[in-house]
Amino acid sequence: MASQFGYCSSSSTTFTPSSFKNETHLSSRFNIVPRKSHSSTSISLIRLRIRPRKHFQLKSSSGHPLNAVSLQDGTAGVPLAKNDMEPQGKEESLPFSQSENVGPHLSITIVGASGDLAKKKIFPALFALYYEDWLPENFIVFGYARTKMTDEELRNMISRTLTCRIDQRENCEDKMDRFLKRCFYHSGQYDSEEHFAELNRKLQEKEAGKLSNRLFYLSIPPNIFVNVVKCASLRASSTSGWTRVIVEKPFGRDSESSGELTRCLKLYLTEDQIFRIDHYLGKELVENLSVLRFSNLVFEPLWSRNYIRNVQLIFSEDFGTEGRGGYFDNYGIIRDIMQNHLLQILALFAMETPVSLDAEDIRNEKVKVLRSMRPLQLEDVAVGQYKGHSKGGKSYPAYTDDPTVPNNSLTPTFAAAALFINNARWDGVPFLMKAGKALHTKRAEIRVQFRHVPGNLYKRNFGTDLDKATNDLVLRVQPDEAIYLKINNKVPGLGMRLDRSDLNLLYRARYSREIPDAYERLLLDAVEGERRLFIRSDELDAAWALFTPLLKELEQKKIVPELYPYGSRGPVGAHYLAAKHNVRWGDLSGEDS
Amino acid sequence: MATLSSTHCRSYSPLPSSSYAPSSSSYLCFKLGHRQRVSVSSGSKRFLQAKVSIQSHTNSGGRTHDGAVTTTVAPIENDIPFKKLKDGLLSVSSSDECKDAMTFDINENEPTVSITVVGASGDLAKKKIFPALFALYYEDCLPQQFTIYGYARSKMTDADLRNMVSKTLTCRIDKRENCTEKMEQFLKKCFYHSGQYDSPENFAELDQKLKEHEGGRVSNRLFYLSIPPNIFIDSVRCASLSASSGNGWTRVIVEKPFGRDSESSAALTKALKQYLEEDQIFRIDHYLGKELVENLSVLRFSNLIFEPLWSRQYIRNVQLIFSEDFGTEGRGGYFDNYGIIRDIMQNHLLQILALFAMETPVSLDAEDIRNEKVKVLRSMRPLQLENMVVGQYKSHTKGGVTYPAYTDDKTVPDDSLTPTFAAAALFIDNARWDGVPFLMKAGKALHNKRAEIRVQFRHVPGNLYNQNFGTDLDRATNELVIRVQPDEAIYLKINNKVPGLGMRLDRSNLNLHYAARYSKEIPDAYERLLLDAVEGERRLFIRSDELDAAWALFTPLLKELEEKKIIPEYYPYGSRGPVGAHYLAAKYNVRWGDGVDQ
Repeated sequence: MASQFGYCSSSSTTFTPSSFKNETHLSSRFNIVPRKSHSSTSISLIRLRIRPRKHFQLKSSSGHPLNAVSLQDGTAGVPLAKNDMEPQGKEESLPFSQSENVGPHLSITIVGASGDLAKKKIFPALFALYYEDWLPENFIVFGYARTKMTDEELRNMISRTLTCRIDQRENCEDKMDRFLKRCFYHSGQYDSEEHFAELNRKLQEKEAGKLSNRLFYLSIPPNIFVNVVKCASLRASSTSGWTRVIVEKPFGRDSESSGELTRCLKLYLTEDQIFRIDHYLGKELVENLSVLRFSNLVFEPLWSRNYIRNVQLIFSEDFGTEGRGGYFDNYGIIRDIMQNHLLQILALFAMETPVSLDAEDIRNEKVKVLRSMRPLQLEDVAVGQYKGHSKGGKSYPAYTDDPTVPNNSLTPTFAAAALFINNARWDGVPFLMKAGKALHTKRAEIRVQFRHVPGNLYKRNFGTDLDKATNDLVLRVQPDEAIYLKINNKVPGLGMRLDRSDLNLLYRARYSREIPDAYERLLLDAVEGERRLFIRSDELDAAWALFTPLLKELEQKKIVPELYPYGSRGPVGAHYLAAKHNVRWGDLSGEDS
Repeated sequence: MATLSSTHCRSYSPLPSSSYAPSSSSYLCFKLGHRQRVSVSSGSKRFLQAKVSIQSHTNSGGRTHDGAVTTTVAPIENDIPFKKLKDGLLSVSSSDECKDAMTFDINENEPTVSITVVGASGDLAKKKIFPALFALYYEDCLPQQFTIYGYARSKMTDADLRNMVSKTLTCRIDKRENCTEKMEQFLKKCFYHSGQYDSPENFAELDQKLKEHEGGRVSNRLFYLSIPPNIFIDSVRCASLSASSGNGWTRVIVEKPFGRDSESSAALTKALKQYLEEDQIFRIDHYLGKELVENLSVLRFSNLIFEPLWSRQYIRNVQLIFSEDFGTEGRGGYFDNYGIIRDIMQNHLLQILALFAMETPVSLDAEDIRNEKVKVLRSMRPLQLENMVVGQYKSHTKGGVTYPAYTDDKTVPDDSLTPTFAAAALFIDNARWDGVPFLMKAGKALHNKRAEIRVQFRHVPGNLYNQNFGTDLDRATNELVIRVQPDEAIYLKINNKVPGLGMRLDRSNLNLHYAARYSKEIPDAYERLLLDAVEGERRLFIRSDELDAAWALFTPLLKELEEKKIIPEYYPYGSRGPVGAHYLAAKYNVRWGDGVDQ
């Protein structure tokens, strides 16, 4: 298996050009800014985020003039004299000139621009950022893919998926047009250094000799990651500003392949140029998790084995692979959802208080959690796969009915797992994960079940199982973002009947504005060099170390998944797994819709 | 579930939310014992004993302190086998038993309850007591056999009384069917007897009439004294000597004021005890019957998440706030003699404070809870003048409407210094609460009408998000608010992130709004308290020693206010009250929480 993931063919000896070295040096300087001097900078960073406009200017005015930095490096204002630039016709009417001194240029290149993710998520997210004035004054977006297309065709393609925010529709068309004018396309092979060199030339034209930063978004299959990184890094790195690369999962399919991928990426990139995206970390309520925990005194004493009985991380989709199981079948739900999204949330949930909110401090704490966990054992998981099901005259296909999936596939489309963190805070508290496709609902949530009240005065009102009436804290990540706390209270009336009610905060009711898509946040963070929500190499290694032995065993022993009907609540095996650890799934108790 | 439908009184219709099947058992009503007895109607025997058994049981368990309780058991109650009591007590539940009990109980030995409202022509009787009795009847919470007597000096016939009562009766919003019919049935059970409050003969006549209605059954009698305090004793004496039940219990409900300082209160208690035993006296504090005050203990003791928070370690201060948006409105005669401190603080707010701050009681029994409350009161420092701010409203013109000053009230002396507003800082010198200010605020003629408990937590030590909060960390702490009225609600203010790409923090509420969650009407406090008195549940009534302790806290201050003729700070009718309250709060590093919301 691993062979097909030979990321960097043989050319591990590839040299790194000096320009790249420069860039590295430079970019790390930039990155230091927000990271190290945390007290002062994170204030500015926060302020930046508060005031939507002109945050780049603010940044430079807050004591870190970007231009000055680059000048010190002696690489700014480099070779590209203005006369190198070929006028691009009316495109040049872009508002670049008006803001010459405003800030560095930003070029975002979407590699794999014709793909689904690019169309559905990346371009719309970029437009939303532009619409809300989050992007720097001078930016351009380049699409890069093998398909032959003109700029116009790309714009046409993109424009179909752009939407304006619900809450401020004015100027939408106008803004869209202006955004599209900043979008360009370059057709090329993913492994061709020449083609990337061409891209580089085009970028340079647009950048017009200004200090320029470059962001590459790799929206391509994993087997060509390294080729693209190699070409982009060698031929299209920024010479005067930073170069960053956003990579999407899968990051390998086990410890070895992941380690290999990281090693190869690092031939061309330094750690802090790599932005491994886990888009779940960009979800509003996942972001809010740390705020809730660390800025509310009422949660502080509760956050440990003393009060928490178990934690449940639940992800479900109400659709299957729907004819696109080719990619999925090679990975399965454990790699697709658990090892990354759910494990990341778990680490955020369980980590100790970091020294500060800086990316490195937070990621240090997350790694500690991951390294305190025991690798999963076969008996800690239940796997399932959906089968065909007819309901109301309609029949839903089995996973193996998907033409892109082998008929004898044993790939799990559902998995439940029990994990344990062997540290002082969490010893003995089961962290249960559950993820599945083709289930009855679509949701993602974190449920925290508290212990029962010792010596409860109202015991008689609760029947024999005290654990059924404990407090629960639920963070619903999607859909309908909400936070609620289940509490026991008295049913109004003359009797003394107790009842579980919710103390709740439904985002829709409280906040009228649309919640930004996770991709918007993550793209913006990458542009700003904020690494808090991206995965560091050692985090990734630790995450794989937990799952790899189990994944190997599942495959070697050809463990047959428990079949469950499409649209059902998943295999009952999940309940037995929970029962083994004295847990009851909170989402299937019938209390919540 | 079956339990619920069969005995709907203490827990009537099943909740709309009751859909979660597995824990239906959690709906069991802890008052089960009582419920049984009530629905069982004649069950008063059983019921009484059950009560008794609880008490003697706990007593044997080593409770001290309350000799009165055990001694007052009426003889009749002793002949029921202990085992049966125990059953009633322990068999937490089953509908079967309730049904059995019911069939078993419907016979001629069923005891009757006669409720006599002394002062039946008064306002409270008309507005609260008769409607509450009807609501209990409508909900089938009263025993099968009951009679209601109005007693007052006015000459009236039964029909006159019924006519008067019928004007204020309403049916519950949620089930209007049969309302008129039920009303008529209820009115048929209402009678009137005219008499003097100090005439044993007139009460003896009442006794005769009651006996006729009771028809030789075991009869229990409840007297509700809805009369001015100066005739309390006379009525109690006459009722007790001439109209006590011969074979059942006799209980007397008394309303505030219970004196106006330690001495007069003690004198009143002493006088009452000449004719009544401690557990015949039901001192009502109708705030204790409010839904959310009842819920306070449930919240505290049945939710683990509050347990670690409930102490000086996490709580910065507690605020008890009461406000009315009207003045005395021509009826200040009574009020002027008492003032807001006696009228609201010394009883309602102090009672809530004691419930809030008490240690976990051994059980939910009345004596256990009241023991803990007394401990709180006795751990408090008596109030000092410097911990108190008093105010009085003055006239105010707004939008062409002129609102009168307190002293414009014709029944109030022109030079009255009686406070219509007061704010106080109290401290409980025990291990749990040392140094935590408990602030009280009560006033008339303010800008709104509300009663609430606010708990402000400390700020997060070493908060990672400090930069987002500005310089005053205490401005962004968690706060738990229990709004007793209007619009019952519980909410917890938490900090969270404002959705969006930035990192802006915001205080939101995790909330439970009763009107949204519970469709049924919340019963009036008087219904609960009357029912409790009928059932002998004393949890929400004030024991003599509690009353003494409460007065001990306030008496020195009240005397000082009067002796030094402290001039109240004037505040305009309809305003937020005198600013002195803010300075008092500031002295203890507190900021009133009610200014911030709404």
